[in-house]
Amino acid sequence: MGLPCGFGASTLQTLKLVAIPSSFSMLRPCISKTLSLHSYHHFQRSSLPFLSRALSATALQSTSIANEDEKVVKPQWRAAIDFKWIRDNKDSVAANIKNRNSNADLELVLELYERLSNLQKEVERLRGERNVVANKMKGKLERSERQRLIEEGKNLKEGLAALEEDLVELTDKLQQEAQSIPNMTHPDVPIGGEDCSVLRRMVGSPREFSFPVKDHLQLGKGLDLFDFDAAAEVSGSKFYYLKNEAVMLEMALINWTLSEVTKRGYTPLTTPEIVRSSVIEKCGFQPRGANTQVYSIEGSDQCLIGTAEIPVGGIHMDSILASSTLPLKYVAYSHCFRTEAGAAGTATRGLYRVHQFSKVEMFILCRPEDSDTYHEELIGIEEDLFSSLGLHFRTLDMASGDLGAPAYRKFDVEAWMPGLERYGEISSASNCTDYQSRRLGIRFRPSSEISTGPKKGKTNIPTQFVHTLNATACAVPRMVICLLENFQKEDGSVIIPEPLIPFMGGLDLIRPKSK
Amino acid sequence: MRDCQISRRWQEVERLRGERNVVANKMKGKLERSERQRLIEEGKNLKEGLAALEEDLVELTDKLQQEAQSIPNMTHPDVPIGGEDCSVLRRMVGSPREFSFPVKDHLQLGKGLDLFDFDAAAEVSGSKFYYLKNEAVMLEMALINWTLSEVTKRGYTPLTTPEIVRSSVIEKCGFQPRGANTQVYSIEGSDQCLIGTAEIPVGGIHMDSILASSTLPLKYVAYSHCFRTEAGAAGTATRGLYRVHQFSKVEMFILCRPEDSDTYHEELIGIEEDLFSSLGLHFRTLDMASGDLGAPAYRKFDVEAWMPGLERYGEISSASNCTDYQSRRLGIRFRPSSEISTGPKKGKTNIPTQFVHTLNATACAVPRMVICLLENFQKEDGSVIIPEPLIPFMGGLDLIRPKSK
Repeated sequence: MGLPCGFGASTLQTLKLVAIPSSFSMLRPCISKTLSLHSYHHFQRSSLPFLSRALSATALQSTSIANEDEKVVKPQWRAAIDFKWIRDNKDSVAANIKNRNSNADLELVLELYERLSNLQKEVERLRGERNVVANKMKGKLERSERQRLIEEGKNLKEGLAALEEDLVELTDKLQQEAQSIPNMTHPDVPIGGEDCSVLRRMVGSPREFSFPVKDHLQLGKGLDLFDFDAAAEVSGSKFYYLKNEAVMLEMALINWTLSEVTKRGYTPLTTPEIVRSSVIEKCGFQPRGANTQVYSIEGSDQCLIGTAEIPVGGIHMDSILASSTLPLKYVAYSHCFRTEAGAAGTATRGLYRVHQFSKVEMFILCRPEDSDTYHEELIGIEEDLFSSLGLHFRTLDMASGDLGAPAYRKFDVEAWMPGLERYGEISSASNCTDYQSRRLGIRFRPSSEISTGPKKGKTNIPTQFVHTLNATACAVPRMVICLLENFQKEDGSVIIPEPLIPFMGGLDLIRPKSK
Repeated sequence: MRDCQISRRWQEVERLRGERNVVANKMKGKLERSERQRLIEEGKNLKEGLAALEEDLVELTDKLQQEAQSIPNMTHPDVPIGGEDCSVLRRMVGSPREFSFPVKDHLQLGKGLDLFDFDAAAEVSGSKFYYLKNEAVMLEMALINWTLSEVTKRGYTPLTTPEIVRSSVIEKCGFQPRGANTQVYSIEGSDQCLIGTAEIPVGGIHMDSILASSTLPLKYVAYSHCFRTEAGAAGTATRGLYRVHQFSKVEMFILCRPEDSDTYHEELIGIEEDLFSSLGLHFRTLDMASGDLGAPAYRKFDVEAWMPGLERYGEISSASNCTDYQSRRLGIRFRPSSEISTGPKKGKTNIPTQFVHTLNATACAVPRMVICLLENFQKEDGSVIIPEPLIPFMGGLDLIRPKSK
């Protein structure tokens, strides 16, 4: 069986797969991109798809393209991205990318996906031909015929091996590009930048003071609650010691919050604070980017968590959950570590922006049709907690330009901080739909009472990805700022809000210390 | 020997400086041209010679430091000399409980009560990591809250601390952050490390300070998470919660006058024994032998509690008197007060500063305590009784029951 020769030996050379600078348009994809191909001196193919022909014509141009992305590390894991859906909905995906100010290159993703599909078909075809040859060899053959088949089989095998390598490379490249496509956006989310965020709810109003207001640092000094100076020597800036009643206040906030949320049916957890960097990536963060928020451990693939969302998201990694177990609701207490690289300016004084803090986080895994409802439940719990502490705050529906890549919709709560004379973020509730679960590999099998096919039982029903949500129940330093600044008295003492008093061993007032 | 070399060099440096000053003075006067020229030449030689010697001095001083820093602290005269098996029993409290049913270890109990997840943690983080769940979370919080409360009542200032510190602070406390088999996690691209104990950030609070004698003793009780690589820890004693990379701990730390440190060492071990007794634990206190003290400790008392699931005693706390070992490195001095001024200058400046003594002691290392409570207070059906002092801190819960599946 002769295969028409598609390539001349001279056009084949080892070509490196390069990244396309985003300025290249869709119209000239094959001129600037190349696949890594191995020499095919003896390999002959039948009519090649557009992909391969175009490659041969452009082989010589490959070396002039700068390999901008070659230094980016190949992803160690694969996200189960629905490429067909992206292709079928490319206009809304493109609009979403724009609304999110994302750098994702949709055209490149679609093109890579097209090439991948074609390459997969080619690989399947060659495998078919190899099987045909293998079958033929089982029968009785003339010596020369056998020799020819052996030769053909060998060529096919080499060709296949090379193509399969290309397949792996293309899949990696596609993954790398596609992973940065942000989640879709809830239709009610306002489009635009930060200033387009919409007010959902306002609770209370700024307290009127009959005396000059102190900020949390001045109050803390008078009450001997913090030490930033010693921490700067021991650890660096943006670290601190809590002292005296501030320790009791931290413990009270954590204990009360855990108690309140556990009462509502959430399973309490404490979590590891060191995790593998791949888990952080799967949750939608970039541990090794420039200006990363993530501390890495030397000599290891491990990092410190910036939020308990990460280790909790990881609990059910690579699992298939029974539909009856959903929803799974967790409330997790952990310390959180953030580099705050790139955070400059005024909003960094005292406890407002620190490298290490305690946080109680809520996390839900649920069926897709339920995530909007649970998003409302989470923001409801947050608003209850902050109201019962007597805080004045507003809840915002964050605009498309201000959502992180994973969030389909995000509600932020900003509380009034009289010392800062502005609202400061104290919590965030995100519905990540299936963005994280496609990366973490968390599926469920929908239950069914009726079996319609020939096979009874659960195996007919394909698994789906769960939806995940996360919400801050209590970020201690921001809460401490709120409590100190809002409940200060003229003499510098601070009133403890009622719900916390039992958790403070009965203490209802923090008094200045006599020196 | 290095010390001698340094002394000799200093003398030489002093001599040369003297000669350089003589030359400099001579040059101020009126001189013959050739005489001036000769003096300039001599001055130049002296200057070069001095520069070289001063470089030697710096190198030698560094080398001396490096060697001398590894000289361990002196040892209290009552400390038994020898290896681990020479440690002496100071006190025995209670006795091993007799069980009328087969005893479960903390892992089996935890499984039945849905308290831990080691498997998920192994995937997410690696071995020796864990999630606490359900009542175990309440138990951890109860232990921390109760311990902080009890020790604060005794006059200790409560603290929470940074868990990331500069590696130099760790070294000054007597640990080796960058040795082979180090216990210390380092942060990539930085001189920072994770703490293995709150002793480190608390020791650092008064680094490079002179404290007024009237402020002593300073007593702190600090709650922090602790991180340890456990490199080189192999063998049987690593199952479950017994040896983990991350845990919560409440630590006591004292800075005091030298003459008081023995007394405060007794105070610290007394507090520990009170705490463990009131929880109903059976334990023994050991005076650790010389071969088993870390470099900083002058004397160390370890408490080992009975762990029926492990069928042996396991260390739950340690109280060390580090005398001036850490303070000499951290630079923590105090100025003794004096009522009588005997010299011509009145006031405080005649009295030279001294180094404080520092002590540290574990008030509560949560995972080991959880092992003790679960294993000692288990019932036949796998439920676990909460010791009385913790009940109010558990929101009134007095029993952890198996979950129906």
